[in-house]
Amino acid sequence: MSSIATWSSYLLTVIIFPPLCLGVVRKTKARLQNRVGPAVWQPFFDLHRLTKKRETLSDTMCGVFRLSTVVGLSTTFALAWFIPWVPIKPWSPHADIFTVIYLFALERFFTLLGAMDSGSAFGAFGASRDVTLNLLVEPALCLALVSLSIIANSTDLGAIFSFSHFSTVSLVWFCAGTSIFLTSLAELGRMPVDDPTTHLELTMIHEAMTLEASARNLFLLEFTRMLKLTLFLALSAQCYLRIWAGFATLAPFQQELLVLIGVLLMAIFVGILESLVVKLQWRKVPEFVAYIVTVSLISVFVAMAGNTSL
Amino acid sequence: MRLKELTVLDIDRAAMLQERLHQPGTRLGLITSIDGAQLITLILHTVSGEAELWHTPLQSNRYQSLTPHIAQAHWQERSVWDMFGLFPVGHPRLKHNLLHQAFRESFFPLVPGALEDSAFPHRSHTPMKVSGSGIYEVPVGPIHAGIIEPGHFRFSCLGEVVYNLEIRLGYLHRGVEKRIVETPLSKQRFIAEAVASDSAVAYALAHATAIEDLCDIEVPDRALYLRSLALEVERVAMHISDLGGLAGDIGYLGVAATLSRLRGVALQMGELICGSRLMRGFVCPGGVLLDPDNHLLQLQTLTAQLQNKILSPLNALLSNQVAIDRLDKIGRVSRRLAADFGLTGPTARASDLVYDVRQHFPHGIYPQVSLAVNSESGGDVLSRTKVRIAEVKSSLNIIQSFIDSMPAGSVFRNLPRDLPANSFGIGVVESHRGELIHMACTDEFGKLKRYAIKDASVNNWTALAIAVRSNLLADFPLCNKSFALSYGGHDL
Repeated sequence: MSSIATWSSYLLTVIIFPPLCLGVVRKTKARLQNRVGPAVWQPFFDLHRLTKKRETLSDTMCGVFRLSTVVGLSTTFALAWFIPWVPIKPWSPHADIFTVIYLFALERFFTLLGAMDSGSAFGAFGASRDVTLNLLVEPALCLALVSLSIIANSTDLGAIFSFSHFSTVSLVWFCAGTSIFLTSLAELGRMPVDDPTTHLELTMIHEAMTLEASARNLFLLEFTRMLKLTLFLALSAQCYLRIWAGFATLAPFQQELLVLIGVLLMAIFVGILESLVVKLQWRKVPEFVAYIVTVSLISVFVAMAGNTSL
Repeated sequence: MRLKELTVLDIDRAAMLQERLHQPGTRLGLITSIDGAQLITLILHTVSGEAELWHTPLQSNRYQSLTPHIAQAHWQERSVWDMFGLFPVGHPRLKHNLLHQAFRESFFPLVPGALEDSAFPHRSHTPMKVSGSGIYEVPVGPIHAGIIEPGHFRFSCLGEVVYNLEIRLGYLHRGVEKRIVETPLSKQRFIAEAVASDSAVAYALAHATAIEDLCDIEVPDRALYLRSLALEVERVAMHISDLGGLAGDIGYLGVAATLSRLRGVALQMGELICGSRLMRGFVCPGGVLLDPDNHLLQLQTLTAQLQNKILSPLNALLSNQVAIDRLDKIGRVSRRLAADFGLTGPTARASDLVYDVRQHFPHGIYPQVSLAVNSESGGDVLSRTKVRIAEVKSSLNIIQSFIDSMPAGSVFRNLPRDLPANSFGIGVVESHRGELIHMACTDEFGKLKRYAIKDASVNNWTALAIAVRSNLLADFPLCNKSFALSYGGHDL
């Protein structure tokens, strides 16, 4: 494929897809509540609106706050660059799984700094809850990725999610996909861990950190979050697609199409899940995370048993 | 209501009240004053359906506080201090309830002739400090994220656990009690029902009952039935709304959406009764304003539909194990504390205190119509939810039976032109929040000289402060919602 086509396809997915995903989640939730709900492209209008607003900054803020939102989005774009989340990418650098995990951590670190810089009590306890949650969830994500790297015999994500080869171990892909999906729910402050639609500051985890952001800062934070959601959903969608061994034999544009459809289906699934489950009490969240870690562990064990070279 | 008036000296007051409250079925109703020269204590007897009114003449502006002996007096004594400048000696924690910095320290609005401009005011306010390493404070409000009323909450937390909650209200103080006294009798009901518009019927009914009690007149039976009908419709609508809010707070969005839609159906029932969804301007002293005769059949159909439709969201809420886990054992109020602090309404019934004004005191067609009281023993958010659910169901049943047994006749009776001199009128009503007390008092010319209101929330606000202790900060909104407290009804 020509490089111009590759570039434009990649840029379109990375810009268009994140807001669309969120729009699909919201639309699904609205339909399940018997509401018409906003159109799926409403997030684009929301983002556009944010760019035109005047920003309000708290008196206690120093430059860290604005820096944090910029760093957050840049890091996430870098991740979108590294991670093989769509088959058609203009450039696929060597992406060690630990580099990726640390880039996620870097993004989070700056979001936390920004939250604490705002000087409000909500930002600080939101940050505290977010750190606690991520501390719990991180092992699950690491283990899921490690299980994949065991069957791929490589820690390079590019090689793990290489779109051309593979005798595959279906159960590992299934478990890893599930684990990445559930991790993304916890990591991105979605149900059952956090309610993204709540207006109650005291119950918020992720939202509490963004309360002081407005206008362009909020735009950056929102887009970062949408992009992260899309990355996670794309990774888990790929894992599920790989259960079907024939996936590797398809042409790249067919794979691309399947992955994107997969992401939208996952977004619908997130919407359904969020309408059915009840938000967990904060003390019960570790139990939920324990399930994710268990799935990851199963994935690792099956991978070790399945990998004959170990 | 049969009222026994006594004169009780300040020095005997605490001991006598303690002795009274030891008798079963005795409740402390209202503590207030008429013009700052005396204290008025209203005691309700639920067994006999009577009330006692104690006059305590005061020589100075100081009196012995009841709070050290009778905990539930603490809140009302603060309000009396704010409004009349009567200082309760021995009150363990006296602070301003209603008036804030905008008023001078010597400003007592209900003392006759007190209203004047207050320039350069400053009132101090010292929230309770919890000290210790790692304790931090989270201030919330008075302006909140949702469209709700203003109130300031200050949490002292260690980590995620709340150690103390300091509630500061009064942001909605509008001077309702004084304004009612200044208004002609025929227009008072509009102010009375606007105090807390989500319980417009309960407020209008309490006002009407108090004025009718003052004039000692009987209202036609059909009017009594219609009043109770409106009261129950209001209860159904508000309970559905509260339950929907609760479901929304735990993120059970499907149930929340369905319940907020069904609240609309309940409000539609109100519209059928009187043409106003919140039933403003329906109940008036002397009866009700119009007879919804043509709509009763339609109302019956709508009630049956609601009875049918409400089951599935309510069952979904109570059959979801995660939802139950989420609500269980959160925000507990023990039976003892509930009794000590005189809690009322669904809050009290969830803590196993079987008290429902509808069983004891005349308002609407109650207590002639028998009624089962729904109570639970857990005292937590789940119990309060269950009590509300049971009340929605039982109220819908009562509505049906009211429509079936509605007597014919007129719905209004004229009041005498003049109110009797030197008398008291009491109206006690079970609003959807619980016991609502209105008291009207006339001077020697038959002119209203004092109108006092006590919302169910006055006592129940304390329950919220108790309930959130050693709970998670993140559970506060859930606790708060489960009490469904009124800011406007408290602040007056």
